[in-house]
Amino acid sequence: MSNSNSDKKNSNIWKSLKEYYNDPEIFKAKANEFNEGVTDDFDPSELKGLSRRRFLAVLTASAAVTATACSDYREKGEIIPYNKRPEGLLPGRPNYYASSMQLGSDSYGILIKTREGRPIKIEGNPDHPINKGKINDVIHASILNLYDPERLSNPLINKRKSDWISTDEEIISKLKTASDAGKEIAVVTNRVISPTVKKVFDNFKRTYSSAKFYSYELFGNENKRAAWKKSYNTLIMPSVKLDKANIILSLDSDFLGREGNTVENTRLFTDRRDVMKGNDFNRLYVAEGALSLTGSNADYRLRIRPDAQFEFVMSLLNEIVITKGIGNSKINNESKTLISKYSLNDFVKNKGLDSLKVNYLVNDLIQHQGKAIVIAGDTLPVDLHIAVNLLNEILSNTEIYDFEKGYNLNSDLSTEEDLNQLTENMTAGKIGAVIHFDTDPVYHLSSLYNYASALEKVETKITLTESENDTSAACNYVLPINHVLESWGDYKDRAGVYCLQQPVIAPLFDTRQAEAVILTWSFGSSKSYSEEMYHKFLMESFKDEVSYTDFNDAWYSALHDGFVVQNVSIEKSAVFNLSSIEGIIEIKSNDSYLLHLQPSYFIGDGKYANNGWLQEIPHPVSKVAWDNYAAVSPSTAKELNVKNDDVIEITVDNKSVKLPVIVQPGTADKLIAVELGYGRNIIGDAGKGAGVNVCVFISNNNFVSQWITGITSVAKIDEVYKLASTQEHHALDDMSVKDFHRIRNIIQEGTVGEYIKHPGFLHDHAKHELFSISKEVKYNGLKWAMAIDLNKCIGCTACITSCNVENNIPVVGKDQVARGREMQWIRIDRYYSGTPDEPVVSNQPMLCQHCDNAPCENVCPVNATNHSPDGLNQMAYNRCVGTRYCANNCPYKVRRFNFYNFRDNFADAYYQNNVTDLVHNPEVTVRSRGVMEKCTFCVQRIMEARSEAIKENKQLKGDDVQTACQVACPSNAIVFGDSSDKESEVSKYRDHDLAYHVLEELNVRPNVTYIAKLRNTHSEEV
Amino acid sequence: MTTTDYRHEPSVVEGRPSLRELDEIIAKPLESKPDKKYFLALAVTLSMLGIGVIGLAFSFYYGTGLWGNNNPVGWGFPIVNFVFWVGIGHAGTLISAILFLFRQKWRNGIARFAEGMTIFAVMTAMIFPAIHVGRPWLAGYLFPYPNQHSLWVNFTSPLLWDVFAVSTYFTVSFIFWYVGLIPDFATLRDKTFSKIKKVIYSVFSLGWRGSNRHWQHYEMVYLILAGFATPLVLSVHTIVSFDFAVSILPGWHTTIFPPYFVAGAVFSGFAMVQNVLIFIRKIFNYEHIITLDTLEKMNKIILLTGSIVGYAYAMEFFTAWYSGVQPEQFTFVNRAFGPYAWAYWIMASCNVFFPQFFWIKKIRRSIPFMFVLAVLVNVGMWFERFVITVTSLSRDYLPSSWAYYTPTLTDFAILIGSFGFFFTWVLLFTKSLPVVSIAEIKAVAEGSQPSHKDH
Repeated sequence: MSNSNSDKKNSNIWKSLKEYYNDPEIFKAKANEFNEGVTDDFDPSELKGLSRRRFLAVLTASAAVTATACSDYREKGEIIPYNKRPEGLLPGRPNYYASSMQLGSDSYGILIKTREGRPIKIEGNPDHPINKGKINDVIHASILNLYDPERLSNPLINKRKSDWISTDEEIISKLKTASDAGKEIAVVTNRVISPTVKKVFDNFKRTYSSAKFYSYELFGNENKRAAWKKSYNTLIMPSVKLDKANIILSLDSDFLGREGNTVENTRLFTDRRDVMKGNDFNRLYVAEGALSLTGSNADYRLRIRPDAQFEFVMSLLNEIVITKGIGNSKINNESKTLISKYSLNDFVKNKGLDSLKVNYLVNDLIQHQGKAIVIAGDTLPVDLHIAVNLLNEILSNTEIYDFEKGYNLNSDLSTEEDLNQLTENMTAGKIGAVIHFDTDPVYHLSSLYNYASALEKVETKITLTESENDTSAACNYVLPINHVLESWGDYKDRAGVYCLQQPVIAPLFDTRQAEAVILTWSFGSSKSYSEEMYHKFLMESFKDEVSYTDFNDAWYSALHDGFVVQNVSIEKSAVFNLSSIEGIIEIKSNDSYLLHLQPSYFIGDGKYANNGWLQEIPHPVSKVAWDNYAAVSPSTAKELNVKNDDVIEITVDNKSVKLPVIVQPGTADKLIAVELGYGRNIIGDAGKGAGVNVCVFISNNNFVSQWITGITSVAKIDEVYKLASTQEHHALDDMSVKDFHRIRNIIQEGTVGEYIKHPGFLHDHAKHELFSISKEVKYNGLKWAMAIDLNKCIGCTACITSCNVENNIPVVGKDQVARGREMQWIRIDRYYSGTPDEPVVSNQPMLCQHCDNAPCENVCPVNATNHSPDGLNQMAYNRCVGTRYCANNCPYKVRRFNFYNFRDNFADAYYQNNVTDLVHNPEVTVRSRGVMEKCTFCVQRIMEARSEAIKENKQLKGDDVQTACQVACPSNAIVFGDSSDKESEVSKYRDHDLAYHVLEELNVRPNVTYIAKLRNTHSEEV
Repeated sequence: MTTTDYRHEPSVVEGRPSLRELDEIIAKPLESKPDKKYFLALAVTLSMLGIGVIGLAFSFYYGTGLWGNNNPVGWGFPIVNFVFWVGIGHAGTLISAILFLFRQKWRNGIARFAEGMTIFAVMTAMIFPAIHVGRPWLAGYLFPYPNQHSLWVNFTSPLLWDVFAVSTYFTVSFIFWYVGLIPDFATLRDKTFSKIKKVIYSVFSLGWRGSNRHWQHYEMVYLILAGFATPLVLSVHTIVSFDFAVSILPGWHTTIFPPYFVAGAVFSGFAMVQNVLIFIRKIFNYEHIITLDTLEKMNKIILLTGSIVGYAYAMEFFTAWYSGVQPEQFTFVNRAFGPYAWAYWIMASCNVFFPQFFWIKKIRRSIPFMFVLAVLVNVGMWFERFVITVTSLSRDYLPSSWAYYTPTLTDFAILIGSFGFFFTWVLLFTKSLPVVSIAEIKAVAEGSQPSHKDH
């Protein structure tokens, strides 16, 4: 301020003439600075009365009050605008990244949709040569695992939080000590199908020479692989061109549901059930004990227990080779004597099979030689697979083997001896350290190899895992690793296809890529770690795997595509080694109780047991969610005196487990089928208490195979356990409601024979002209409609999960499912006809039918549900009061009501945390309680396509939109489009001879057309 | 006398009490302080109400998920209760309006009380449409009010018709009741010595002086209102039945519903009025005003309407069979023999079988018997609504979506609460207003009307 110089006249800063002339008033005013009155309320002189103590007290009090007031202010996080927009990212527009993912022994090409940098949906990579744009439930739902709040967020040393550097240092020194002492360092993994991971392990082995690698799978096709090696001894096991097979015989193989690449199998299988391509249908025979998804799609199903499968195959061989004299030249005398011991007639008689069906089977197999295939289940023993190989060889079915897309057999699992040795060494203290590379052997192998007790003897126990599991709980070092969507990777499970995996989001927590952790240890210093570490390693490894001219070109195009198709020279055939059949051990079936442990359809080996979406998908056959159970046949249930929800105790040797019962029609008698993967001890909120752990029954000494064993005793105990099911279990027990789906024309079916003879058989009966009392709405222009081909729908439920992810469907929990309040917008209705022992299964996806005369619309008192000009039945959530009248009046019962705010009701505010919210699709409203909801035909996708069309100044076409369920359907059974356009695919389906609407007679005019299923049986009757 | 003199109508009021005596006895409960028994009764009803309030509070806080409703069964106890209480509310206006138009003099003794019960029952019923919705705080959307969003209600929805039907019924019943009360307010005003009471009665009596002109106007208004109320008696339950009949659900989509519901409503309403009157006439010594003859007449109506209901039950089966529509046929077979057979047979026995005892005069005139039978009728009628609502929903067109409905504790709490709410009002009514119309009962007392026979 220039006040100090104010006496000088020539001050060069002046505001008024008075100031310029140094008017004394100005000085006064300036000294006061503020005008009179402004400071009246505050006189500093008054402060004198305030003592220092008092001042401090007031200060403290006011600070405390302010602090308290502020603490109630909810942390909303920071909102940061894109001042500099990241390249290729436009807010509100999704980006898609091609990647891959391993599931069991297979890899799948995936396409990840991200919005503003956060992945919100996984779909199949349409260009991928194996799964061709389709993926299964587990991959769809695995995105929820990324946002699982119970993921580990930092390393743990003896359950205490730690940081990466000190943990790495500590582990490295431990590993070095072990290695120096010559003690083994065991690395336990699942099947490794990544060439780069193998290199990482090699690296590790170079540093720690005492390292040994073990791999195991709770399930897998190891028996099939072993049999192939014995029979053919090639490095590639062919896949099967299922689309070329006229006859398929599945022996306890759920190849559509849980064995092998089910997505690929389903596509190829249903390719021959396409009424649009003609009527050259394949015929599926399934011989199985427990009713599987594949069995439910069978044209003929034989109830054969897994222990009798061996005799069945040998009897078939006998019938075909000895009796019918087929392929006599392909077989030697030793084998002939072996198979001549079996007689098909005796087998059919002993097992009480339908000889007509078996005759059809034998004739079909013979008639379609070279165009048929016999597939044996993964849980069946090696010797049976060898016999099946021989059967296929004799029938020349090897012609439809596909070597080009065959499986690489270079990723063997550890043998039984190896694992036995490992646990023995562990118990003996010979193992210095164990590293669990994203595996849970304490849960899987405890009974098989006494793994848990052996592990206690090891000094350094390390687990790399995404979230706590039974193994991590027993380890002193638990290291959090990245989710698939945060990781780099590559896979080479199939010949000629190299798949790349890329991260689409930075790690959400303080986690690291598992491979990079191993690499860091290999380098022997925690400082060697960098985030780019594995990325660079992978790029180096890529150079060995793929031939290229320019690396950058090759790498980035591979990254863009998600895979590289390689021209590798493969032997196109293999020679059957007859000696393999001579060495087989025969299996004698018996009549006592048998236990069949089967993989779960959805939760894998337990890895996905904490995924609410997956737990909540109803079992494709029994419709039970959230639990495993003992499935028994109706007559076995009678024998055991049990009904649904009763508990039985199963004892095998000295191990026993209590399990609730489901009376499953179609199960072989005296067979108890149970799914694995449930009942993990250490698990997050979602999976807690879901199911029972039956891993204890897995044993190498089991009667038929690891998973199939005789039962010492089974008895009902005085307990009831309520299983949650989305469909009532009455259809076959109760005569008063039998076959309603046929009587009411909900399911309309025919046979191929009937269809060929008379394509219009479905609409033979004269139809009433239905009229409406209200004025019909005329639709000009585009009108949305869907068609579902029941010939292609196998009931796999991939549509349900895809819809869940797309439309923000909440997880409601077991108790709510039990009350009938599941929220899924699309469901697969399963109906049984026939007898309880030999049921005929019909599946039907059911979703909002978007009726023209929607009965829900006229009863809503507030117009919350109404019709759009393009034929959609819409829901205005904001307007919905929740009278539930619309749901009552919906004949299809596809409306879902939010009885609670399901986002904070399930498992203690399951969604109400910082991360789980991120899984939501920002284009779809998250519904609160008291609101009705239902399928929208993915209106958000329609709107996106529409805005795109407007932008490009063209007409929106029906084909521009694909609904989430349609995208997911591995058999392309769902078709969506414009029914006004008579050239569109959906119109062709609507006009098809086999097209019908469910509950047509109500005249609600549904817009979902079903194509009647044709069964490829020999008769023309259903 | 060996022959009955049909020219002479037997008096409704027994024992020839003087008009003054009638004034005294009817006004007595209003002039005396409530006794211990009254408070005890009030404590019971308020406790019941409290249970309901707690149940409701939890429902509002957590959501309708606390109830048994599930996916096919969107409507459970609240709608059952709603229809039940609207039904209870039918007897009052029927007695006061329709029987008035038909010049049924025996109605004079019970009309006031029955009307009061109507109003309380409709009040109880009106709670349910509001609370049964998923977002009760938005229940106002059900009213057509002008708003900036240009959102309008959907006039094709029977639920909306309900809103109008029930609120109209309530309004008209209330006005009718009040108009009937005006001369009594005047009587009470003239009798009371308490200043406060005098002011209150004066206000409500609207300056009634009992002049000839007043009476003339009053009679005319009363007649017109009775004329208004009469179609409403029939329309309310008709429209409530539309909630079901307009839908396309088998078991709901039935043209027989309107008359069947009205008959059922009158049936249950009379049973409830009869139940309560039995206590009132005993406690307040009104045995000579609300006579056994009157009760017997009510029992006859119960018998009649019960038989109509029984006929409707049988007819439903016939129509279902005759329609040839399988889902329709199954629905009825399922009601009688399906998982809810227990509810069906409670309904059928309470509504059709037991009321047949009223053919016997002795039972018709025996207080304990008629009481028990009327209680059973109300149990049966509650179950009728349960059977219609729940069984139809639990098993409709697609067997895949069938599910059993089990009510929860909260459902029962709210049901108990509704009884608490209703009876609390009834109790307050008995102590604050004349439960028998003083003016009307005087009109039917022996010798009150000019007689020509002696001339």
